[in-house]
Amino acid sequence: MTKAQFRTLEREKRFQNPSKTESNFPLLYNAVKPHVGSFNALTEGLNGGLLNIAVKDIGIKTIFDSKDQEKIGPNKLKIRVDSVQIAKPSVPITDKLSINRNTYPSECRERLSTYKGRLLLKLAWSINDEEEITEIRDAGQLPIMVSSNRCHLNNLSPNQLVNLREESDELGGYFIVNGIEKLIRMLIVQRRNHPMAIIRPSFANRGASYTPYGVQLRSARDDQSSQTNALHYLNDGNVTFRFSWRKNEYLVPVTLVLKALIETSDKEIFDGIVGSDIDNSFLTDRLELLLRTFKNYNLNSNKESIAYLGQKFRIVFGATPDMTDIDVGNEVLNRIVLVHLNNNNDKFRMLCFMIRKLYSLVAGECSPDNPDSTQHQEILLGGFLYGMILKEKIDEYLQSIKLQIQSDITRGIAVNFNDRKYMTRVFSRINENIGQKLQYFLSTGNLVSQSGLDLQQVSGYTVVAEKINFHRFISHFRMVHRGSFFAELKTTTVRKLLPESWGFLCPVHTPDGSPCGLLNHLAHKCEITTEKVDTSKIPSALFKLGVKPASSAISIAGPNVCCVQLDGKIIGYCSHSQGKIISDTLRYWKVEDENKFGIPLSLEIGYVPPSNHGQYPGLYLFGGHSRMIRPVNYLPLDKKDIVGPFEQVFMNIAVVPSEIENNIHSHVEFSPTNILSILANLTPFSDFNQSPRNMYQCQMGKQTMGTPGVALVHRSDNKLYKLQAGQTPIVKANLYDDYGMDNFPNGTNAVVAVISYTGYDMDDAMIINKSADERGFAYGVVYKVEKVDLSQQRRRNDPITQHFGFGNDDTPPEWREKLDEDGLPYIGVYVEEGDPICCYYDEVLGKTKLKTYHSSEPAFIEEVKLISDDNGNTECQSITIKYRITRQPLIGDKFSSRHGQKGVCSRKWPQIDMPFSETGIQPDVIINPHAFPSRMTIGMFVESLAGKAGALHGIAQDATPWKFNEDDIPADFFGEQLKSAGYNYHGNEPLYSGATGEELRADIYIGVVYYQRLRHMVNDKFQVRSTGPVNSLTMQPVKGRKRHGGIRVGEMERDAFIGHGTSFLLQDRLLNCSDYTHTSVCRDCGGLLTTQVSVARIGGGQSIRCRRCSVRVEGRGHRSDMVEDGDVWEDGTGKRFIGGGNTTTVAIPFVLKYLDSELAAMGISMRYNVEPK
Amino acid sequence: MSKEPQITIRKAGRDEVDFILSDVDMALANSLRRVMIAEIPTLAIDLVEIQVNTSVLADEFIAHRLGLIPLESEDIDQLKFTRECTCEDHCDKCSVTLELRANCETDETMNVYSSHFIITSGNSGLNLGHPVIRDPLKKGILICKLKKHQQLHVKCIAKKGISKEHAKWSPCAAIGFEYDPYNKLKHTDYWYEESVEKEWPRSANADWEEPPIPGEKFDYMAKPDKFYINLETTGVLKPNEVFNKGCSELQRKIANIVFELSKLEKQQDGINLENNGSSAMYANSNNNFDDYRNGSASQYGGQRTAYGGETSYGGSGTQYGGSATQYGGGNTQYQDQGSTGRW
Repeated sequence: MTKAQFRTLEREKRFQNPSKTESNFPLLYNAVKPHVGSFNALTEGLNGGLLNIAVKDIGIKTIFDSKDQEKIGPNKLKIRVDSVQIAKPSVPITDKLSINRNTYPSECRERLSTYKGRLLLKLAWSINDEEEITEIRDAGQLPIMVSSNRCHLNNLSPNQLVNLREESDELGGYFIVNGIEKLIRMLIVQRRNHPMAIIRPSFANRGASYTPYGVQLRSARDDQSSQTNALHYLNDGNVTFRFSWRKNEYLVPVTLVLKALIETSDKEIFDGIVGSDIDNSFLTDRLELLLRTFKNYNLNSNKESIAYLGQKFRIVFGATPDMTDIDVGNEVLNRIVLVHLNNNNDKFRMLCFMIRKLYSLVAGECSPDNPDSTQHQEILLGGFLYGMILKEKIDEYLQSIKLQIQSDITRGIAVNFNDRKYMTRVFSRINENIGQKLQYFLSTGNLVSQSGLDLQQVSGYTVVAEKINFHRFISHFRMVHRGSFFAELKTTTVRKLLPESWGFLCPVHTPDGSPCGLLNHLAHKCEITTEKVDTSKIPSALFKLGVKPASSAISIAGPNVCCVQLDGKIIGYCSHSQGKIISDTLRYWKVEDENKFGIPLSLEIGYVPPSNHGQYPGLYLFGGHSRMIRPVNYLPLDKKDIVGPFEQVFMNIAVVPSEIENNIHSHVEFSPTNILSILANLTPFSDFNQSPRNMYQCQMGKQTMGTPGVALVHRSDNKLYKLQAGQTPIVKANLYDDYGMDNFPNGTNAVVAVISYTGYDMDDAMIINKSADERGFAYGVVYKVEKVDLSQQRRRNDPITQHFGFGNDDTPPEWREKLDEDGLPYIGVYVEEGDPICCYYDEVLGKTKLKTYHSSEPAFIEEVKLISDDNGNTECQSITIKYRITRQPLIGDKFSSRHGQKGVCSRKWPQIDMPFSETGIQPDVIINPHAFPSRMTIGMFVESLAGKAGALHGIAQDATPWKFNEDDIPADFFGEQLKSAGYNYHGNEPLYSGATGEELRADIYIGVVYYQRLRHMVNDKFQVRSTGPVNSLTMQPVKGRKRHGGIRVGEMERDAFIGHGTSFLLQDRLLNCSDYTHTSVCRDCGGLLTTQVSVARIGGGQSIRCRRCSVRVEGRGHRSDMVEDGDVWEDGTGKRFIGGGNTTTVAIPFVLKYLDSELAAMGISMRYNVEPK
Repeated sequence: MSKEPQITIRKAGRDEVDFILSDVDMALANSLRRVMIAEIPTLAIDLVEIQVNTSVLADEFIAHRLGLIPLESEDIDQLKFTRECTCEDHCDKCSVTLELRANCETDETMNVYSSHFIITSGNSGLNLGHPVIRDPLKKGILICKLKKHQQLHVKCIAKKGISKEHAKWSPCAAIGFEYDPYNKLKHTDYWYEESVEKEWPRSANADWEEPPIPGEKFDYMAKPDKFYINLETTGVLKPNEVFNKGCSELQRKIANIVFELSKLEKQQDGINLENNGSSAMYANSNNNFDDYRNGSASQYGGQRTAYGGETSYGGSGTQYGGSATQYGGGNTQYQDQGSTGRW
């Protein structure tokens, strides 16, 4: 058993002298590698990176200067983007002051700006096919991924990073947009270049005679953009080819595509699909039909077919008049049909293969492939998605040039391509700021796209990389989402944990609730390929091994032979028995020496054996991007092999060496913990817990008030939680140190007694020792940042009229208690609600104005930062103030152990009353034994035991899961340790009542458990009011904690009151504490709305009169004999009335009055009987 | 059973004493333990005036750390509680002022230790307020670390207090407390899987007692009378002082109770007389109820202020007793209402 260690001094030394060479935690860098690697691939690698491949793929836009766009004009402009460059972030050119022109991420975080570099497009255009003119255009500032090759932090040592105000192990992988760290989350998509057989009932809705059968292939171009092609089976045996282009779906007869691809004959198509299975009448019948129905189109040659296709798609593709139908047809084939292949013969063969797979599926010869299985999935990486969007934006940019020229023509502006000035005018009139569009994408996560990028969602691509603690932060980068489309799905099949994901997706680390199973995390050893491996030598190796080349293999097809494919290209055929040998040989070769045989180690060798109605057989090799891969030990050579999810299904990988069986297992796991994510690995003894508890811990670990980082002074996050005195756990998994978790402690070792004591520990409550609390147990702080921006109050380019500081006018002296001469608060000053936090002099008003503190929670001023604008030469107009809010543990704060055992502090119990052991140890925390039987978190017991033994002997304990087994149980291992320290074998101790000193009747389980303080604290949650703001319409209390509102006594609460017969309480809640009002009502007419207050007169006060029951007295001064003067009353407008005095006051809920008014507006009058009369 | 209490000291060290307290009642032994932990006045930093703090640690965090530093409290009896002192805020009679001025001028990180404290208040002749230093290098406790050009200037006012108010005033680190190591009294029930002997290690204190004789009759009248106490201090007081002060503190508390009880007796006589006056009280029943509520509220306040002060603490006890009788009075009236036939 490996020994865990505290490594305190190591860490101390590392913090004092950060390494000048490389990081001590390579595993951490591996964790974010998919992100950084995919971003790097945009600008480096073959052919100048993915972006340069992408602009080649965009091609040339042709523009004519003719009035009518349908006709070829006198001059032709061909324009294209030659290359793309991304500069490293630097200060703007307008900045004349900076000597160091680099912009670093820490500055962007503190200034709440965006970490971005210039995007440069090299435009090339030629007029009338003459020589090309090039110009480099600035396409705005593009957000740059931190630590990528475009970032200044790339490959820096920890020491250099610290000098640049970063964490010593800044991992990068995210963008900084307006000071917020954003990352593009990884998305699960269909595995590329592999035809998948699908039975989906919704396919039948596509039209008459459509069936649920289909074969779908997500074809990926070299620039990582993709195009999905699907084949649909129709009732009559026909097959249509479906694709979507610019969010529209198109269906084309597959025979047309086949015939357009190459010059072929019906015989060739028949052979390519049927092969030697001519006895299969199911197949031959359908093939006959397929070919026969195409005769109706009367297209006999390849050229005719292409032209037909081109003619149909002319409009859709926006083809210019100089293109022939054949050109357009070829364009369609190039851009849509199996775009991962660039040879039409290959496309033809692949399409035939797909058709055959479809027929096999329909005939029931093969089973459908499960799209929810990891086997048929890959990961869409942030960098690649970023590149795809960039590609589309560049495409749009070229289109907008075309549109601009066209609008110039229609407006009658002289269009002269040869005039450089005209071209500059065109460029200046279009939106060249591509960078801003990407910034929008990152800050909102919304995808604005014409094509939809072959993706199923338009929003939710980015998330904030929250730094609540390091656990939360690191797991963002390992997070894989299934797609928001699936979140709305009612079926739960997509959420299921499938055995195929073994070793790739963590079975434990997924949230409970709505995103359960959709939001997964990568197993900690799982990597994603971000570059294409060299597969050029594989075909020749395959031929050497006996694969018949596809070009010579005429009339070989079907599941009876083994089709050998490499990244979706059919290499050739062999027999199934040969296929098995070939796959084994390839594997042996690649593991033995990848250079010797030219077989890359990370090549995925998916040999699907022939089976009875199983998956369609063949030998499928994958070496492309975005694949999930993981290391396992290859037994024949005892060397590392890399496996992928496609091949893993058909391999025999032993989990532990002891279960290896001869002639069965070819591989063995390096460690069974490899299947767990980083966080799941950190749960101590997780193999002893009931599985959902480990899930809860993965959630709660991320909500812990821990250590978000050490370079906190260089951050300006809105809200940051920090545990003041975090500790390293005594009980920790080995990976804890490998991932450097000690740099960011997440909790405290606490002496925990499992005992029902005082009753304050009922129902998941926990009691904290008051003295422990006073000594600083779980003490934490919250940092909040507020930005004060004076420039927001004036318009752009207006002169500055507000200046921080005091003016010459008189200001109250108490302002100076908190504020310094510069109008900014003193560092460390204590502020309460309404206290000044800064002041500025307003020239226009000639007054010094004050900004006040707006939270009910008192705080200390931690930092004040002065922020300049981008150029850094204007007067300071904005500052950020960082507040420090102290949060000592309070009753109602939430705590948890690392086993999904959360509880709320219910009491701080005096030390003298706490139970104590014979040695005088008193628990820091008391939890109730009832927390265990139903939850079965045995891991927590083991941790307690191990922690106690560790504390007694001064050693760290290894809590890696699956280190113990039935014969070697931890209770014995740690029991012996305890025994040798003179303690009970089982971790029990006789405790004494603190109050009486009597020995408790039972011995108590007491030990040391690592406790986390969760960020849910009463101070952020408590809501109480007796009176307060009310809604002006209904006079009922408003809702919301922020507005000091009430908590609603809803329908069910009301029911409970009624059920209990607590009528007084019911009235109190629903009336007295709500909209209780006194109002007047007329006894005679029963009107609530007709009463009004009369104007007070001399000799008599105001009285309440009913307007309806009173009679108007005409004429001023006129005195009727019939009327006593005293009975006349006057309303506010001088009108006089008599009568209507029979009113009284009643108590009603105000809404009744409101209801009455509403009804009155509809012409309904309400009458109330008032009793006693 | 009227044996004199006995103490056998087994081990005595600078900060620790291990002794057997025998022939006492369990209640007394535990009271002593409780008092020693929570009620012995000591000195600890209570107010911190931070003059300069440019270190990385927050003001209140340093203040909290300073509060927990053990300060020599041998002559604590010479010092008054601030609340009992006649001075306005604090004075030399009720406080000790310590100052710390640390400036880091070197490239190396400077460690600020509790030994850097200087007592600046007048009563320097007393053995009071010096930080307790127990490490071999005589540096004391690390307070914080300073980088070049960082400073920490603090003026600390140490006050007398007891641990009931804050743990920093506790003179004890831990008090081991055990009786009946053989579990002859069967107060507890040792849980075991296979054998008690194997799984439960015998306490070292078992050597000081007679092992149980197998088959011996269980004496259900037996009471624990031998307590193995291991007293470990934080260094602010010597262990013998802790024990002595604990005893006297306990005595004082008991004396208070006796005193207050006698006062209560007198009071109760008076109330009984009043109650006998009877029928006039009926009309006032509502008022009486209010009185009770008000009384208890103020009583609560009284308890809080009297936290450390023993006399008023006891006083509130009588108040409580008084109000209880009042409540009883209300009860009788309630029954009176019943007899009037309203219900």
